[in-house]
Amino acid sequence: MEPFDNEELSDRELNGILREWQAPPTPTRLGKCIFAERHKPWWRRIWTTSIRVPVPVAACLVLLFLLSVRQRQAPAPPRVVVKTERVEIPVVTERVVTKLVYRERPAATFYGLQPVAELRPRIIRSGNAPN
Amino acid sequence: MTAQQAFESYHESVFRFVYRLTRRVDTAEDITQECFLAFLRAPERWDQARGSIRTYLFSIARNLALKYYRDNQAGMQLDDDQFSRVIDLRSGQELASVVEQAVSALPDLQKEALVLFEYEGFTLEEIASVVGTDIGTVKSRLHRARERLKRTLAPYRKVGNLHGTV
Repeated sequence: MEPFDNEELSDRELNGILREWQAPPTPTRLGKCIFAERHKPWWRRIWTTSIRVPVPVAACLVLLFLLSVRQRQAPAPPRVVVKTERVEIPVVTERVVTKLVYRERPAATFYGLQPVAELRPRIIRSGNAPN
Repeated sequence: MTAQQAFESYHESVFRFVYRLTRRVDTAEDITQECFLAFLRAPERWDQARGSIRTYLFSIARNLALKYYRDNQAGMQLDDDQFSRVIDLRSGQELASVVEQAVSALPDLQKEALVLFEYEGFTLEEIASVVGTDIGTVKSRLHRARERLKRTLAPYRKVGNLHGTV
């Protein structure tokens, strides 16, 4: 079917047409739901209350939980018992030798040497030499 | 005003508002419930100096509905495609359904302004308070929404008791 007229509606016509759309009636259980929820004892509300948790936070919590479970299941490391005991060990005592070491040795010089007044040579023969 | 009184006074209009934004009874019910539970949990957040309790409740509901849009972006796009098909095959469509489709096809910010103004009787100041913007912006959104609907719904003009597509 073709429309009678495709020109724009006037304000009055639009208001009339808009009134054609009626919303459905409000569900009667609405108020009961709201106020029943409020008058529930706290211990019953705990079971129906929900909280919003961001996904990254929830993922972290799950990961922490899994890690803690895994740690509990892993075998515990052996306990280390510390025991103190006195043991005698033979020690070699070393002798201390003292040696005088010149850091700077004085050079040998002929300074102050006097010639002898009388020369007395003495011949010493060795044991194997012929007489 | 107590929470119970606020609920008695406004739960129907909040439900209607959310339904017109989401077009789903179950979602509208959930959001309305969440809206009043939020008020019950922290009634001290309502600052009387900043607006009436009605605008406060509607702003909570509006934020929850926007969150619903964000979470169901693909679904909303599907609705737009559906709308263009409906317009093409308009013969046989009930007028209420056509209006529903046309309003739903509006951009979200225009739609909420139109629903609050046309269906819930909010003033421009109240709408500005609910959506957190200035009156000029609300007026502009409302004007654009109405202009778009005037063009879209023109084939469905009433002539006497008949609509344009009988």
